[in-house]
Amino acid sequence: MDFVLSPEQRMIYDYGAKVSQSFDHKYWLENARQNRFPEELWRQTAQDGFVGLMVDQAYGGSGLGLFEMALLIEGMSNHGLPLLMYVVGPTMAMGHINQHGTPEQKSRYLPDAAAGTTMFCFAITEPNAGSNAMRIQSVAKANGERFKLNGSKVFITGVDVCDYAVVVARTTPHDQVKRKTDGFTVFILDLKARGVDYQPINMSVVNPELQFTLYFDDVDLGPEDVLGEVDKGFNILFDLLNPERVTVAAMACGIGRFAIEKAVAYTSERVVFDGPIGAYQGVQHPLAAAKTQVELSSLMLRQAAWQFDRGEAAGAAANMAKYAGAEAGIMAVEAALQAHGGNGFTHEYGLYDLYSMARLLRTAPINRELILNYIGERVLGMPRSY
Amino acid sequence: MKVLVAVKRVVDYNVKIRVKADQTGVDLSNVKMSMNPFDEIAVEEALRMKEAGTADEVIAVSIGVQQCQETIRTALAMGADRGILVKTDAVLEPLHVAKILKAVVDEEQPGLVILGKQAIDDDCNQTGQMLAALLGWPQGTFASEIEFADGKANVTREVDGGLQTLKLNLPMIVTTDLRLNEPRYASLPNIMKAKKKPIDEKTPEALGVDMAPHLTTLNVAEPPKRQAGVIVENVAELVHKLRNEAGVI
Ligand SMILES: Cc1cc2nc3c(=O)[nH]c(=O)nc-3n(C[C@H](O)[C@H](O)[C@H](O)COP(=O)(O)OP(=O)(O)OC[C@H]3O[C@@H](n4cnc5c(N)ncnc54)[C@H](O)[C@@H]3O)c2cc1C
Repeated sequence: MDFVLSPEQRMIYDYGAKVSQSFDHKYWLENARQNRFPEELWRQTAQDGFVGLMVDQAYGGSGLGLFEMALLIEGMSNHGLPLLMYVVGPTMAMGHINQHGTPEQKSRYLPDAAAGTTMFCFAITEPNAGSNAMRIQSVAKANGERFKLNGSKVFITGVDVCDYAVVVARTTPHDQVKRKTDGFTVFILDLKARGVDYQPINMSVVNPELQFTLYFDDVDLGPEDVLGEVDKGFNILFDLLNPERVTVAAMACGIGRFAIEKAVAYTSERVVFDGPIGAYQGVQHPLAAAKTQVELSSLMLRQAAWQFDRGEAAGAAANMAKYAGAEAGIMAVEAALQAHGGNGFTHEYGLYDLYSMARLLRTAPINRELILNYIGERVLGMPRSY
Repeated sequence: MKVLVAVKRVVDYNVKIRVKADQTGVDLSNVKMSMNPFDEIAVEEALRMKEAGTADEVIAVSIGVQQCQETIRTALAMGADRGILVKTDAVLEPLHVAKILKAVVDEEQPGLVILGKQAIDDDCNQTGQMLAALLGWPQGTFASEIEFADGKANVTREVDGGLQTLKLNLPMIVTTDLRLNEPRYASLPNIMKAKKKPIDEKTPEALGVDMAPHLTTLNVAEPPKRQAGVIVENVAELVHKLRNEAGVI
């Protein structure tokens, strides 16, 4: 067993440290507070080749795996640059096209996406279908070879800065399918197409990407827009569950480390009674405990990513990593916040802002309860509740 | 022209240094190591020479433990063409490093060697100068600008009183100061390309360099803690405090 990263992996992990010299957490936070997408940072990461990390070399990417993507996201988050867009775009949407697209779709979309000249978001959640995707009500009604898409999606990250969305819609009504997971189709949708509209949602989370409600009104889609097979969308969507969990865990671990590091620096300097408050075990222990949880989660997410890249079953590790990572991130920010006293709540220190981001990851993009259901039912083999 | 760049593996500049409890040295366990920042500037300068057509090959050399290979990989990912690792577990003093570099220079015959003016771990600021002496080459230390003209180099140096420009014959030694350039970091495609670039491994013994220490470290201690400062309201108060509390005027 070898826990050492290769020199390439180490450099990918260290990229966050490098890019944060030009775009630091302050930049991230200012953008987050203004709900402005950090375009300059995004463009820089694209120019440096990281947006196309998982895209095959034949289509302009680097052809690396989930392990490296997780290292990248963890490393950027370690330096206060967590980007949800990296999860939904380069990992999920682009990863999905890379894995399941036809050669035509890949050459049409991936080179530009890998270069960062076009951007992708991922749209599955609906007002009545969040945790339960089987309830999706957006319908793409077949009309000969083509489809007419109607319905809506909510909480879709980054629609305003994206060119395309990977969208899941129902193509066969649920009472006409044999398996309840049948009847859904994944489409690549041009966000400029006729009948597509979107509205920002006012979110209280302090993060730089906006969330949107997407509306579809008779949007015309063709067979060339179908990703995978008609009605069999969920057969391939399952491939996305683990990348989503792993990268979210990576982000949470990074946020946790960033917060802990801030707290260590602060409490080593801050004198309240005799000597720095960091010398008090009442201050140390919550940070030490959170650090332990962060590093444990980080190990678990790397195991999950490693299994995923080898084509092994990664569900158990990925779900446990997501659960543990999100909880560790919250624990870390909470401990750091308390260690900062009143300063933690100021704009200058920005820790309370980070709390909203860490806390988000317990609920979205996949909530804690569904993760624990998986662990209970699939890992422990306990009976299903419904 | 071949350019040789020396790159040292040091404790990352972001790491808060801790002295070992027994005061024999700095605690390196579980500490992030990186390329010496002055050496990053050296690599960058060599790469710019290659891009400008002045240099045709950039070779990164590191001396030390096996993990120095990572430092060389970083230089290769930035764009250096190949690496040389001189592997040793011995304690390295500037004179050892200068002698090893001289042996490498004898083999490679570069037209220019670029080093950092100092490494941020021991801050010796000696290796470049010693290497120049051993080779009998001209040296432009603390360089903030290098220009080539008519087969010679104009090196602008940062000296105490300001800037000094020297005209140097090649081959020569340059050591870098902070303002020479802003080093690039590796893009992902370059990180992947670096994987295929060769790294030669050598040893001090094979290069004929005796690694016997010339220095004995007696004791390593942390600098005394700085007392918290005070903010004064005005000049009068400052003068008053300097006179009556600090007793310096
Ligand atoms: C900032 C942000 C960004 C997002 N980005 C995207 C995006 O880009 N694309 C996209 O498609 N979606 C996105 N989402 C949506 C996100 O994936 C959903 O919010 C999430 O899946 C939860 O769905 P829901 O909000 O409908 O909650 P619901 O499904 O209504 O669940 C509410 C709560 O009920 C509990 N619960 C639900 N089911 C169970 C169960 N089986 N067992 C026990 N408890 C349960 C959980 O506590 C859950 O939090 C985003 C959301 C946010 C907040």
